Amino acid sequence: MTNTQVPAARPRPAAPPAVAARPSVRDRGSRLLAALFLAPTVVGIVVFTVVPIIGSVVLSLFRWNVIDPPRFAGGANYRTTFTDSTVLVSFRNTLLFMVLAVALQLLIALALALALNGRMPVWLRSVFRSAFFFPLVLSAASISVVMKYLFNQDFGVVNWLIGLVGVAPVPWLTSEHAAMATVILVYVWQQFGFSFLLFVGGLNNIPKEIHEAAALDGATGLRKHLGITLPLLSPTLLVASVVGIINALQVFEQPYVLTDGGPGDSTRTVVMVIYERAFEQLDFGEASAVGVLLFALIMAVTALQFRLSRRFVHYQ
Amino acid sequence: MTDSNLPRRTLLRYGAYGAGASALAAAAASWDRLTAADIPGRDDGSLVVATLGSAFDPAAVDALTEGFHRLHPDIPLRVNAVQAVDWSDFFAKILTQIAAGAAPDLVYVATEGVQLFARRLGVPLDRWVRRDAAELRSYFADVHPSLVESMMYEGSLYQLPMEFNAADMYLNKQVLKRAGAGFPPADWSRDDFTALLREMKRAGDAHFTPYFWTNRLWGGVVPWLFANGTNLLKESKAPGGSWLWDTFYPAADRHGRGGGFRWTTPQATADRVEEAYDYLASLVQEDLCTRPEGGNGSNLVGVFSTGRVGVTPAGGFWAGGLQLAGMQAADYDVQYFPRWRTQRHQFGAAGYALLRTSKKQDAAWEFIKYAVRQDTMTRLFRSNQTTPARRSMLNAARYAGSGPAHWQVFYDTLDRFPDTGPIPAPPQVAEVTDVLLKYTGTALASPRAVRPALRRMQGDLEKAMEREV
Amino acid sequence: MSQATLTLSRVRHSLAPWARIAGLTVCALVTLGPVIWTVSTSLRTPAQSFDLPPQIIPTHPTTAAYHGVFQQLDVWLLALNSTLVTALIAVGQMITAGLAGYAFARLEFPLKKPLFGLVLATMMVPLQVTIVPVFLVLKSMGLTDTLLGLIIPAFPTAFGTFLMRQYFLGMPKDLGEAAMLDGAGPWRIFRSVYAPLATPGLAIVGVLAFNYHWNEFFRPLILETSSQNYTLPLGLVSLQGNLGTGSISVVLAGVVLSMLPAVAVFVVGQRPLREGITSAGVNR
Repeated sequence: MTNTQVPAARPRPAAPPAVAARPSVRDRGSRLLAALFLAPTVVGIVVFTVVPIIGSVVLSLFRWNVIDPPRFAGGANYRTTFTDSTVLVSFRNTLLFMVLAVALQLLIALALALALNGRMPVWLRSVFRSAFFFPLVLSAASISVVMKYLFNQDFGVVNWLIGLVGVAPVPWLTSEHAAMATVILVYVWQQFGFSFLLFVGGLNNIPKEIHEAAALDGATGLRKHLGITLPLLSPTLLVASVVGIINALQVFEQPYVLTDGGPGDSTRTVVMVIYERAFEQLDFGEASAVGVLLFALIMAVTALQFRLSRRFVHYQ
Repeated sequence: MTDSNLPRRTLLRYGAYGAGASALAAAAASWDRLTAADIPGRDDGSLVVATLGSAFDPAAVDALTEGFHRLHPDIPLRVNAVQAVDWSDFFAKILTQIAAGAAPDLVYVATEGVQLFARRLGVPLDRWVRRDAAELRSYFADVHPSLVESMMYEGSLYQLPMEFNAADMYLNKQVLKRAGAGFPPADWSRDDFTALLREMKRAGDAHFTPYFWTNRLWGGVVPWLFANGTNLLKESKAPGGSWLWDTFYPAADRHGRGGGFRWTTPQATADRVEEAYDYLASLVQEDLCTRPEGGNGSNLVGVFSTGRVGVTPAGGFWAGGLQLAGMQAADYDVQYFPRWRTQRHQFGAAGYALLRTSKKQDAAWEFIKYAVRQDTMTRLFRSNQTTPARRSMLNAARYAGSGPAHWQVFYDTLDRFPDTGPIPAPPQVAEVTDVLLKYTGTALASPRAVRPALRRMQGDLEKAMEREV
Repeated sequence: MSQATLTLSRVRHSLAPWARIAGLTVCALVTLGPVIWTVSTSLRTPAQSFDLPPQIIPTHPTTAAYHGVFQQLDVWLLALNSTLVTALIAVGQMITAGLAGYAFARLEFPLKKPLFGLVLATMMVPLQVTIVPVFLVLKSMGLTDTLLGLIIPAFPTAFGTFLMRQYFLGMPKDLGEAAMLDGAGPWRIFRSVYAPLATPGLAIVGVLAFNYHWNEFFRPLILETSSQNYTLPLGLVSLQGNLGTGSISVVLAGVVLSMLPAVAVFVVGQRPLREGITSAGVNR
């Protein structure tokens, strides 16, 4: 399917020659066990992901409104997709969303993880860690309902708060410029905790001696972080950004509840278009075509990331 | 480190074993729950009715089932109260079932879906209505012909309306008092309306907005289009339908009735449509109303009941919502939508549609008849979460607890403005709604955006209407 | 290093923490703000919902909204369904991810890389794209509109498998090699050497699965038809009322009730969760 590599899948110098050199009895035992162990996962994936994906690809070549039998349409659905301004805008929105949301999410998470890495009482650190992780346990749909109240232009708490420092009310959800920013804020608010925990763990794994050595060399503050911490953290950064990007490209609940894609198309994402085409407009063919394109885009972006990562990611 | 780690790991391990074991035990004990074998009336050939769950409370649904069972013990019935935020969520769910060949027999459908269902999925009720005319006479005598006409498509009747909501104006009486304004008369004009908003604004604080509305098909821009004597799509009536009018309605009520509405050519760039948008844009500019939010309007009841909003368009369903929000009957009241070029109102109605794929159509018809009986509807619509389609059910007792004082407005809207009609909902309604909401948002999101937005709305509407549905 | 520079750096170190802790406190408040507002609004009367400034500590707290939730919904049935679905998915994912993760980390077999790629690629498939084909597959198995239909397709987990693979990779290799020299076969090595060490890793998979599936909305929305099969998030929707006429306090009370179990699991599982997620991002 794909050549996707994860960081740890790189060839390791300690690849087990022992196993390779052993006679095939052990090999066969290992293969049998692997087959048994992988069976539940692989069978599940084939039945509930691979087959449905193939189904979607096939469906994307048909016109199907659920009610009548599907009619073969060749590439017509794809052609419509490329001329449909809503679809094109939704791809642009999704990419913009991905770049900004992931960048912001990583930045906030990294900054907080670094700040937390300094000296402080253990209980305090634990309180902070729980607080930053907390939004992740909430349901995106419920919390978006709450956020819709908070960000209301006229009655919301957010505008009241910024009004206290003399800022005029912002039409958070009802202007084409602000709406995307608001959706990103709400999304990042809920998601950054995940990257944050990854970074906390990554920092814990950097041996203390390295920091001490750096301090002795006179590296402090920002320079220490840029020159030493970041390269050591780069594998964590890769995982955080891969997972972040894959999730961001599939964003649905937040814009669906907060703005319903509006005003205009300004916050309409690709998954929203898929949902609307399929379940509101009964065009399962075009919905599948858009879905297949999105899937291809996600794979391409992920592959590109791993390609780039070879240059920038340092393994200890 | 290791010392404290080991017991914790052991603990975790036993915890995990415990969790696994109890999960397995729970799974075994609740196998029927997991396979849904414990649901009565499942896969046994019951008549399956899908209804919008958020519209009725569970007790009402139970009462509906029991009552039907007493009447028709031979017809097993299963009511599915589908939980959905709005009609489009509801349809998404019904469509998945249809796609998978597991369609219900009856579906509760609102105006939004009447023509789509009629054209693609539904069965005309004409032959049963004719057959059981005697039985239905009292029903039709109690239901306004405008509501019935909105359930017709190309000369045939597809649903018996059970409830409706017209967009009237709700006014917060405390806000009125604060502004020193009187309650508006029934024939108030658009300019009276604007003047009232200005007075309210003057008397209000920074966190007060006189007029608030939600960007949706029902009760969004459409009431203003109707008041200005226009519509989003050119509206006409299909021929036919006299079989029904002649049977059930006196001559006076038959006049001008046809075989249902036709919505065809988009007219988003027509002068009167532009006028309506310009008017709303001017209200936004003057801070008399907010930019419309998308979504299902969940903020609305709250901000109105707490006096942050003075006026908003809503129907009978709001009386129940305001009561839940803690509003007293004396705190608010309702008046007709203001007059512009006309005072035509818009409404949406709902009832049960019978699906073509149903193998139990006669049984399904019995359910439809049962559902529109006065005693059934009284049990179903206990709280004021909608306006019953039967006029006799709107009485002082019903509104004594919740208000409003002028509750007669709800049904009188239909009598007083006989041209009052349904929101435009052709079979392509989903796309039409998406296009309308999208460009309404754009048109009002920034100044001088109305014209370009309407031009693009027109283009997209034309594309939507060309589609074969 | 001279005495002076040392003192200077001490001063800087003792000043910086306070600024840092103040900054973190502000960030924590911003993060928890919406949650605090939700809880406090659910304890106020609807009429006070939109008060500005918001009363964070309600002057007249009332649990009326919570009574409202129990009045309008069969909360216990919804909670039972949610618990069954989430717990069984969690246990199932612990099993599938534990086994597959071990295979990818410690066993040799052909097609290892492409298979691992396949598993990870499932993360990239939007649910909305495959939901109708999935519905058809479930129908052919007779599992539509059952809780099992929600549970079984959720057993394979890409992220869980990835986590467990990282977790097993992080264990010292010599343990297994020593056992192998003692003549232990692949199964014995798994059973008696590595599996016992995997419990904390599995706990993370379980907690993450619980967290995600407890809040899941889209799949239950499309797959479950009978109201008896609804999960909590689906049931809570009806609190918003017909056309959004539900009381905001009741809606928020529902939100608070539904987040309680997730919070409980989070508190109990916080430690393994933290350790587990962190191990995912580290290449050992």
